[in-house]
Amino acid sequence: MNTIFLQNVLTVAKNTFKETVRNKILYGILAFALVYMLFTLFLGSISLGEDLHVIRSLGLAGIYLFSIIITVFLGSSLLYKEIERKTLYFVLSKPVSHAHLVLGKFFGLLASVAVAVAGMALVYLSVVAFKGGGFDVLALLSIFYQMLEMALLIALSIFFSTFSMPLMSTLYAVLIIYIGHSLDLLVSSVAKSSVAAKAIVKVIYYLLPNLSKFDIRDLVAYGTHIPFTQTLLVIAYALVYIVVLLYMASYLFEKREL
Amino acid sequence: MIEARDLTKIYGAHTVVDGISLAIKKGTIFGFLGPNGAGKTTTIKMLVGLNKPTKGTVRIDGKDPAEHRMRENIGFMPESPVFYEHLTGYEFLKFCGDLFHAKAKSQGYYFDILKKVGLSEARDQMIKYYSKGMKQRMAFAQAIVNDPDYLFLDEPLDGLDPIGRRELKKIIKSLNKEGKTIFFNSHILFDTEELCHEIGILNRGTLIYSGPIEAFTKGRSLEEQFVTSIEKISKPL
Repeated sequence: MNTIFLQNVLTVAKNTFKETVRNKILYGILAFALVYMLFTLFLGSISLGEDLHVIRSLGLAGIYLFSIIITVFLGSSLLYKEIERKTLYFVLSKPVSHAHLVLGKFFGLLASVAVAVAGMALVYLSVVAFKGGGFDVLALLSIFYQMLEMALLIALSIFFSTFSMPLMSTLYAVLIIYIGHSLDLLVSSVAKSSVAAKAIVKVIYYLLPNLSKFDIRDLVAYGTHIPFTQTLLVIAYALVYIVVLLYMASYLFEKREL
Repeated sequence: MIEARDLTKIYGAHTVVDGISLAIKKGTIFGFLGPNGAGKTTTIKMLVGLNKPTKGTVRIDGKDPAEHRMRENIGFMPESPVFYEHLTGYEFLKFCGDLFHAKAKSQGYYFDILKKVGLSEARDQMIKYYSKGMKQRMAFAQAIVNDPDYLFLDEPLDGLDPIGRRELKKIIKSLNKEGKTIFFNSHILFDTEELCHEIGILNRGTLIYSGPIEAFTKGRSLEEQFVTSIEKISKPL
């Protein structure tokens, strides 16, 4: 990896970050997230002694939900907008390759989502501390797992946006999120089915990302210990998907007529 | 030198550019003319490496512009430019400048370019609030941000008021005096006549003339001669 490669990726990433954090819709979503986080205080107070547990569960679920909305909303049009509006003419007529642009877009949006998640996490931690839960270290691990899932979803959105319109990209992403969180259930539901059904589910299982691997919210809410090796494996799992998706996105993008 | 040999672009069953060959010497201002849909934009995109030719080659100083490192020395201004909405003029120019690596650029360097194109006062304003003429100037500014030897401009004078056109033409002339080679697409024939040393005329993807402007006009105005030539070719047999 040479310096020019890194400089180009960083320049595009910085530009993407600036563009996305200045998007007013992002602040609209974050305002909803803030209201929701404060609302968990009320829900906790009516939960008969389980207030901290309720706040933790709902708070982490809220961070996840709003991160998904931000990721899918911004990610689905990220590359498509460049192609459609032809802003990429400014970039690709310079010493920049398609791969530089794809990677820059990925890291730029990842940084924006990370900043948004950090803001929501700060509110969450304050709410938990306010209710006497102290500094919720385990929640940070759960949020880190969520960020891995977001990184994967950004790569997925970029991949889809190389060949489909934002609405379709959003639809594909939502479908994959739904199936990705139901893969274990899908496998167990065909345990007694035909060989063909099992084979189809097996292909889906290995092809699509198993997103439930990134969900440790319940474990965190109950204070369960997460082994370090598990975290390393989950990081590696996410990285494999991200690298493959971004590589395919760059390839398809380069083949596309501008 | 810009060299295109047998340059062809086919989309499906439609041949947009049909085997054109050009040789443009260093330091020339070359006007590329043609009616709407003649294939001018497709050609310019192939010349700067944005589009791959179906057939034929492009060489700029002997190098293929499809190799992205070669583009350190090229400036390109697209037609009807659309920008990143949430960036200011300065931020956008700096973003474009940062994509070139040959030499470091200071804040003053960018300010000078913005001043040159008449956007000094609007440099901290978001581009989404720029007028069409200001956007055109911004697109020109980013094309010269790397101080390129080869400048490709797609309809650079489109949308500019008479004063803006005069200013931009002045910059183009002064850049040419510095030795820059300028290739531009245009349908404003009056300006082309004033600026260019040589012209190329494209009709339905075929190059019908390439050479000195005087040899084409033969004492008539460029507009008159251009219209006559196109009508002659387009006339059904």
